[in-house]
Amino acid sequence: MTGRDTYIREEAQYIPARSSIGEAGAAFLELSQVGFSYSGKRPAVLSGINLTFAREGITAIMGPNGCGKTTLTKLMVGILSPASGEISLEGRSLQEYTLAQVGRRIGYVFQNPNHQLFCSTVEEEIGFGLTHLGEEPAVVRERVDFYLDYFELSPYRDQFPLNLSYGEKQRLAIAAVLAGEPGFLILDEPTVGLDIYREKLLEEQLHKVAELGRGVVIVSHDNKFVSQVAERIITLENGQVKWDSSWRGNNDHEA
Amino acid sequence: MTMKLDPRTKLVMVLCITTLAIVYNTPGALFLLLAATIGLLLLFRINLIRVMGYLKPYFMLLLVLFLAQCIFTPGGEVLLAIGSVRLLGTRGLLMGTTVVLRLLIVIAAAVLLTTSNSRDFISGLVQWKVPYEVAFMVSVTIRFLPIFRDEFINVVTAVQLRGVELKKVPWGQKIDLFRRLFFPVVYGAIVKAQQLSVAMEARGFRAYPRRTYLRQLYLTRWDYGLILVFPGLTLLLMGLHMRLV
Ligand SMILES: Nc1ncnc2c1ncn2[C@@H]1O[C@H](COP(=O)(O)OP(=O)(O)OP(=O)(O)O)[C@@H](O)[C@H]1O
Ligand SMILES: [Mg+2]
Repeated sequence: MTGRDTYIREEAQYIPARSSIGEAGAAFLELSQVGFSYSGKRPAVLSGINLTFAREGITAIMGPNGCGKTTLTKLMVGILSPASGEISLEGRSLQEYTLAQVGRRIGYVFQNPNHQLFCSTVEEEIGFGLTHLGEEPAVVRERVDFYLDYFELSPYRDQFPLNLSYGEKQRLAIAAVLAGEPGFLILDEPTVGLDIYREKLLEEQLHKVAELGRGVVIVSHDNKFVSQVAERIITLENGQVKWDSSWRGNNDHEA
Repeated sequence: MTMKLDPRTKLVMVLCITTLAIVYNTPGALFLLLAATIGLLLLFRINLIRVMGYLKPYFMLLLVLFLAQCIFTPGGEVLLAIGSVRLLGTRGLLMGTTVVLRLLIVIAAAVLLTTSNSRDFISGLVQWKVPYEVAFMVSVTIRFLPIFRDEFINVVTAVQLRGVELKKVPWGQKIDLFRRLFFPVVYGAIVKAQQLSVAMEARGFRAYPRRTYLRQLYLTRWDYGLILVFPGLTLLLMGLHMRLV
């Protein structure tokens, strides 16, 4: 903990939020003093990040464009490695995990759906993870049908994913990750490109995921969406944590 | 082999070679790739001596680039110094060699494109007298390749994040996986390259007039074979290089 963080915590009377973020033992994902910059010369994109995510609860990360939200989430799943500090997943350093091992614990939805769709059909895309983890074809089929139906992608079942509209791609990307039923989810701006009705569907789905005792982190600019789903809000600014609602242990959404 | 390949086939081959040139970063591997490319040019019965003649002016540029890389890259052991001023280090030599080899490969591969006897390639490309077009073509290729590489890296990341341990997938499955990923990757890269060229044109960049062609091009068995084999081989080599396979 740097002086700055400690100072804020003392001031704000640290009480854990209702999703029991606090006990070090219960932490699922923990970042301590994490700093990062793209290539050595550039100024640091993130610095002195201390955050703990419990296994449960919905957390939102907010902040202006370019403040490092995407970078932070990429660090959290090990796509990027921190330049300084330490990230641990289930008590072990994230460095010790392969990307695939992280992927089985954390589902990650990229900010740009084009970066994560790689199959030849929508159906295959949703079933990909399950199939490759050796799930029974019948189970895969059932799960795929459910998500196709839920995200209203059934008519596009045999379509080429990259030809879908942006909102459809976004839904597909989310469905493909949800289908793996990971214990923890990170979604980078999942509501961009979704219409109001689809946003509502996503909201419901996230609540369902949370009810199953799984953790969710969403990056979003959408105040309304965030206030509907998130119980904890973290605000980044200039690569640092400016505000974390768990500092006070209440649910106010002033970010 | 009398090579009457479709220009599209040649384009695929050139893209593959240049991709490898960018992926590889050791002089040894690059040298082998250059040798293979030159071998290919010989197969195409290209008069290397004449090509050299055309390219002479650019060799100066290469030399300058080489020297600049050598002198301005710090690190490594000092090989040459005047008094206390270091002129040449091992790392510089390495960097210089790498850069020059890479450029030579790109140029050699681009020469392949000039062998198209159909006029579907911009005539400026065939006639070396118009270096602007050559430069344009090469620059577009060079711009295109990082897109392809990024696309590849994205897909590999995305696949692994869905829980697939690429390194541990058995061989048969791996080949099947890469085969299935190949099309989406290429398609994604092409869509992005299109966006790039549209963006360039929208900002007023124009290399040659838009044309439509009356003559239809047909792919032969050779074309199909090469279009399949080259990218497959390239992906395999890239996979080997990135230690995925
Ligand atoms: N691959 C990269 N190479 C170099 N700089 C990068 C790269 N990706 C992001 N950056 C820079 O890092 C900073 C943080 O980027 P990041 O994508 O994390 O922001 P963000 O908070 O997600 O923004 P947005 O709200 O627009 O999604 C930005 O200044 C950006 O320009
Ligand atoms: Mg972002």
